Amino acid sequence: MKTNLFQTIKAFIEKKKTDIKNTYFTQKLNAKRKRDFQAFFGSFFRYVFLIGLCFVILFPTIQQILQALRAPEDVNNPAVIWIPEIWSLKNLELAVLVLDYKDALINTATISFISMVLQLFSTALAGYAFSRLKNKVTNTLFILVILTIVIPPQALSLSQFLYFRDLQLIGKQTSIYLMNLFGMGIRSGIFIFIFRQFFAGLPKELEESAQIDGAGVFRIFFNVMLPNARGAMVTVGLFSFVWAWNDAYYVKIFEVSTADFPILTMRLLNAAENMYAQLFYTGGLDLVGQDVWENPLFLALISNVAALLMMLPLLIMYLFVQKQFVESIERTGIVG
Amino acid sequence: MQQVQKNIGVNTKNINKYQKQKQLWSFIFLLPWLLGIVFLFGMPLIQSFMYSFFKLTPRVGEIVLEFVGFGNYLFAWNTHVTTVSSFKVELINTVTDVVINLPVLLIFSLFIAVMLNAKFRGRAVVRAIFFIPVILNSAAVATALGGGDIITQILEQQNIGQLFDLEHFLVQTGLDQMIVGFISGLIGRIYDILALAGVPILLFLASIQSVPKHLYEAAKIEGATAYEMFWLITLPNVSPHILTVTVYALVDTFLTSSVSGIISDELNSQQWGLSSAMSWMYVGSILVILLIIFLLAKIFGIGGSHYEN
Repeated sequence: MKTNLFQTIKAFIEKKKTDIKNTYFTQKLNAKRKRDFQAFFGSFFRYVFLIGLCFVILFPTIQQILQALRAPEDVNNPAVIWIPEIWSLKNLELAVLVLDYKDALINTATISFISMVLQLFSTALAGYAFSRLKNKVTNTLFILVILTIVIPPQALSLSQFLYFRDLQLIGKQTSIYLMNLFGMGIRSGIFIFIFRQFFAGLPKELEESAQIDGAGVFRIFFNVMLPNARGAMVTVGLFSFVWAWNDAYYVKIFEVSTADFPILTMRLLNAAENMYAQLFYTGGLDLVGQDVWENPLFLALISNVAALLMMLPLLIMYLFVQKQFVESIERTGIVG
Repeated sequence: MQQVQKNIGVNTKNINKYQKQKQLWSFIFLLPWLLGIVFLFGMPLIQSFMYSFFKLTPRVGEIVLEFVGFGNYLFAWNTHVTTVSSFKVELINTVTDVVINLPVLLIFSLFIAVMLNAKFRGRAVVRAIFFIPVILNSAAVATALGGGDIITQILEQQNIGQLFDLEHFLVQTGLDQMIVGFISGLIGRIYDILALAGVPILLFLASIQSVPKHLYEAAKIEGATAYEMFWLITLPNVSPHILTVTVYALVDTFLTSSVSGIISDELNSQQWGLSSAMSWMYVGSILVILLIIFLLAKIFGIGGSHYEN
């Protein structure tokens, strides 16, 4: 009897033990299942969402490219939705004529590139001064940088125009270069902001060790800080180039785009406003039949293709620098 | 020992010299920008403010100024009309749009930034795609595309307008007409929203990435969920930059708004005094909105970083 009771108690305790063990394991298992489910659901939702948005972004461009490659006669061929029935480069040929593509491309690339270099120069210097060479005045001056971001360019354009007219720089690309050189180009304020934030984030030790080695301010900036600022340089450079490329505003105000010196944006704007006249003057009409160019949709299509041609070099360039660009965001923390 | 002291002596001298150098170089580094801010920004700014009180008439070789006081402002507000709209209507529209859209834009871009920041397969590709609208964001291209209408038009003429007619589909499910309109409007504008959100996403992404990694590691050990980590770590750390992004988005929306277009049009038709007055009203409304935002930020304590220093 005694032993029996003892055994019962022992068995009971054993049972409790395994029970606890079991519930513990099932709980853990349930939690793990729940977590797995959540993780799966989360990533599933994320993929659906992101793929959807990527599709929205890519869709118009892909459609444009395919539209550009179909034959002019097929503009309203109901059988063609995505893949062209007759592949043709004729639309592209016409758009090239309308844009004066070769010259305009070279000019735009030159202006964008020089603007980028000048803007990098002035904004990197200013950003460094605002973050690392601080004195009492710089903090007050920085309010002015914010002001240059907030005040719209239209408020200043007339005075700037008159100013450059007095200097006889209207109609010359020098006027745009001067704006960029003096840190007043397209969104220079934001670039100064980015550089300031970036330089402020570099470790102090870099500067100190260079100081002890006897380097001066300029050498520290040029040989130590700038090579470390590659991420910010790539970001600012890309934005600067792209915005200069897309800029129609300053080009218009300073009347840079002329018949001898065509710029892509202005050619595109003119073409979009009056495609028929553009085709007529450039001799594009002779390339297609009357039944085709009388179709207003065809004229619209050509301006579409022209827009594509203007963006294409940027897209190709972006494909090449995209990796550094995305990585540079990772490394820098370019935040204002 | 003496040798060491001597070395230190040299070094402190170096460092003092360096501090003095810094003061001087600070101005040398700022020189281009200072020239710009005085000659290309400050002077035009004051001048354009003056112009807004004058009627400017171009004559041969000179511009005749005629003082009209607040005439330009009153004209812009009360009587100005264009073929489709008026300055007053567009300005009010833009301001209301900004007030409604800005929070949506901020939340959307923060959401996307958090998503792009997470580790998943193909993240580099997705990121690259997301910044394409930033690259392609150009007024000239937008004009040439007519807002993307042309392709839709071509497709519509072929009676295959929309492969999937969302609006029709939603109405069929018995939803209210107004809700359907709102949803399809939002979806129709998705590309525009994405294009506008490009730079804010970029700025948010960068700011999320500058959050110290050990905070997340510690939270993970404590068993925090992703949801808690967002509210307790990401958001407080990103909040100082919300202000920057807001300012950027605000300025960007105004720059691409129709108000901006009207001002440019008046400028091109040589209504210089009027266009100056208009731009100052535009600046005024931006500054008022900014002031309100800064006040709100101050009240709710957004903008100050609790990790700084």
